[in-house]
Amino acid sequence: MGITITGVTKKFGAYPAVKDINLEIPTGDFVALLGPSGSGKTTLLRLIAGLEGLDTGSIIFNGVDFSFKNVKERKVGFVFQHYALFKHMTIFENVAFGLKVRPRKLRPSRSEIKDKVLELLRLVQLEHLADRYPSQLSGGQRQRIALARALAVEPEVLLLDEPFGALDAKVRQELRHWLREIHRKLNITTVFVTHDQEEALEMADTVVVMNHGKIEQIGSPAEVYERPANAFVYSFLGRVNEFRGAALYNDVAIARDSAVEAVGYIRPHEIGLSRFSNGVGIPAEASHVNAVGSTVRVVLKRLDTEDYFEAELTSGNFRELGPFHKGDILYADFTNIVVFEAITDSEHSKEREKVTVGAFSAFT
Amino acid sequence: MIAREHVHLKSPGASRFALAPIKKWLLIGTALGFLGIFILIPLIAVFTEALKKGIELYFAAITEPDALSAIKLTLITAAIAVPLNTIFGVIAAWGIAKFNFKGKNILITLIDIPFAVSPVIAGLVFVLLYGSNGVLGPFIEANNLKIIFSVPGIVLATTFVTFPFVVRELIPIMQEQGTEEEQAAITLGASGWQMFFRVTLPNIKWGLLYGVILCNARAMGEFGAVSVVSGHIRGLTNTLPLHVEILYNEYNFTASFAVASLLALLALLTLVFKSFLEWKTKK
Repeated sequence: MGITITGVTKKFGAYPAVKDINLEIPTGDFVALLGPSGSGKTTLLRLIAGLEGLDTGSIIFNGVDFSFKNVKERKVGFVFQHYALFKHMTIFENVAFGLKVRPRKLRPSRSEIKDKVLELLRLVQLEHLADRYPSQLSGGQRQRIALARALAVEPEVLLLDEPFGALDAKVRQELRHWLREIHRKLNITTVFVTHDQEEALEMADTVVVMNHGKIEQIGSPAEVYERPANAFVYSFLGRVNEFRGAALYNDVAIARDSAVEAVGYIRPHEIGLSRFSNGVGIPAEASHVNAVGSTVRVVLKRLDTEDYFEAELTSGNFRELGPFHKGDILYADFTNIVVFEAITDSEHSKEREKVTVGAFSAFT
Repeated sequence: MIAREHVHLKSPGASRFALAPIKKWLLIGTALGFLGIFILIPLIAVFTEALKKGIELYFAAITEPDALSAIKLTLITAAIAVPLNTIFGVIAAWGIAKFNFKGKNILITLIDIPFAVSPVIAGLVFVLLYGSNGVLGPFIEANNLKIIFSVPGIVLATTFVTFPFVVRELIPIMQEQGTEEEQAAITLGASGWQMFFRVTLPNIKWGLLYGVILCNARAMGEFGAVSVVSGHIRGLTNTLPLHVEILYNEYNFTASFAVASLLALLALLTLVFKSFLEWKTKK
C-alpha cells in the first residue's frame, strides 16, 4: 500500500515534533526514517500508525484519506522498540491475539488461527517456542515474535520503531538480514525508524534523513551517501572531517564572504595522501597510525592550522605509499572537499543550500 | 594463584559469618518479642476471653439477634463500599498512571486525604453535610431520605475511609507497566474493552486483588467514622466493631470478646489470603 504524507505537522504543547512533512512512499518500498534523537522520526512513524493525531496536513493510504481514521482502521502492523509482548500470554497466544480479537463474523476458526500462528512462527523460525512466555526468550527472539504478531493481522503497512535498538551488535546484524529477507518474501510496504546510519544505509531502499522535525533529504542509500543535499546529511552519514575558517580557505578557492560562514566536509577515505608535495597538498604530520584490518586509519595534524583530521586508506595503498610512522610528514590532498553554508542552531530551520561542490584548486 | 586468591577472598567473609548468628538471633529475637507483646498476646487474649465461659456462651453471643444484625450490616457495607472503590480505583489509577494532565499531583494528594485525616473527622464531615442541621439536611428531609444514623451514612463513611486502598496499590503497578502493551493491542485491532480485559486487567490482577483485600479488611473493621454517623441503634445501625464496643461498655465481656474474635478471625483470614497472593505473585 502506498502512503502519501502531505504538509503534516504535529506539536507537543508548543514544541513542534514534526513540521510540514511531505513524503511519498510507494507500495512495497522499504523506507528508513533516519535522524538523531529528537528529530521527529518516531513521531512521524506514530502519526502514520495513528498512535498520534496530526495537527495539520493529511496522510493518504492508496488514495484514501486516513488522516483522522483510528489505529484499528489503518491496518498497520507496528513493532515497538521494547517489543511490548503481552507478558501474561504464551508466544502462541501473543501471535494469535490480533486474530482472536476480531469481531465474531471476521474471526477465523480455532484451527485456522492455529495454522496461521504456526505458519508465522515458522516464518520467524521460532516454532519450538510456542508454549513459552516472553520472559523466557532472548531479546532477539522477542523482537522476532513481535514481528510475527504484527504480521498475523495481515497488515498492508509494517511500521517498526527502532526495532533493533535494544539488541546487542551481533544479534542486530543477524536481524537486519533476516528482516530484509522477510520483506523480500512478503513485499509489504515497510517503514522503520533508526538513528543508526549504517543500519539505514544497509537495509533500506529509500532513506529519509530527518533533523529538527523536518526532512533533510530523501533518496536511495547511495544517493544520500554520495550526494548529500546539505551539511547536516553529510555529517550525519558516515565519518567525516570538518574544516572551518582559515583551514577551509587554505583548501579551496572560495571568496571570504563575511555574511555566510562556510564549512567544509571531507570523508577520511576521500583524502589523498602523498609523500611529496605536487602543488595541491597541504603538509601534515602523522600523529597516530592504526593499521588493523583491511583499512589503515591515520590521524594527522595540519602544519598550517594545527587542526587534526582523519584519513583512511586501503592496506594496499598504504604499502604503495611506503609504510610511514608517527611523526612523518605527508601531503594531504583535499580536492574532494564539499563546502556548505554552516549550520548554526539558531537558524536550523532556514533552508540550507549547497554553496559549492566539486573540485577546487587549493593553494599552499 | 587463582585458588589462593579465592581463599583470601573467603576469609574475611567467613569471619563475618562467624559473628552473624549472634546478630541474626538478636534481630530476630527482638522482632519476635515485639510481635509477641503487641500482637500475639492480645490476639490470644481475645480468644481465651471469648471462650472462657464455655463454647455454648460463645455461640450464644454471636448468634443472638443483635449480633447477627451487626454481622449482616457489616457484610452489606463491605459489599457496597469495596466494589465501588474497586471500580473507582481502577479508573483513577488508570487516569493517573497512563495520562499526563495538569493537576495530576493535586489529584493524587486528594486521593490520600482519607488516609491522612482521622476517621472521626471524616464521620463528622458527613454529619455536617447530611445531618438534619447540615448543609444538605433540608433537601434530604424534603425528599424523605435518611442518611445519617442509618445504613446509607455508614456505607458513605466506610467508602470514604477505604477509598485510597485500591488506587494506591494500582498506581505504581500501572506506571511501571507503561502503555506499550496497550498500544500494541490497539494496533492489532483490539477495541478499548478488549484491550482492558485482555491486556490491562491481567497485568494488574494480583495488585488489584491485594488492594481489594486490604480495602475489605478496613471496610469491615472501620470504627471511628462509622461510630460518628451510625447513632448506635441496636439491631439497626450497629456494625461489628460498634457492637463490640456496646457489649464491652455494658460489662458483657464474654459476649464482647466473642464478637471481637469474629472480627479477629476475619482479619486473620484476610491476611492468610493476602500471603497466598503474595506467594502466588512471586511465583
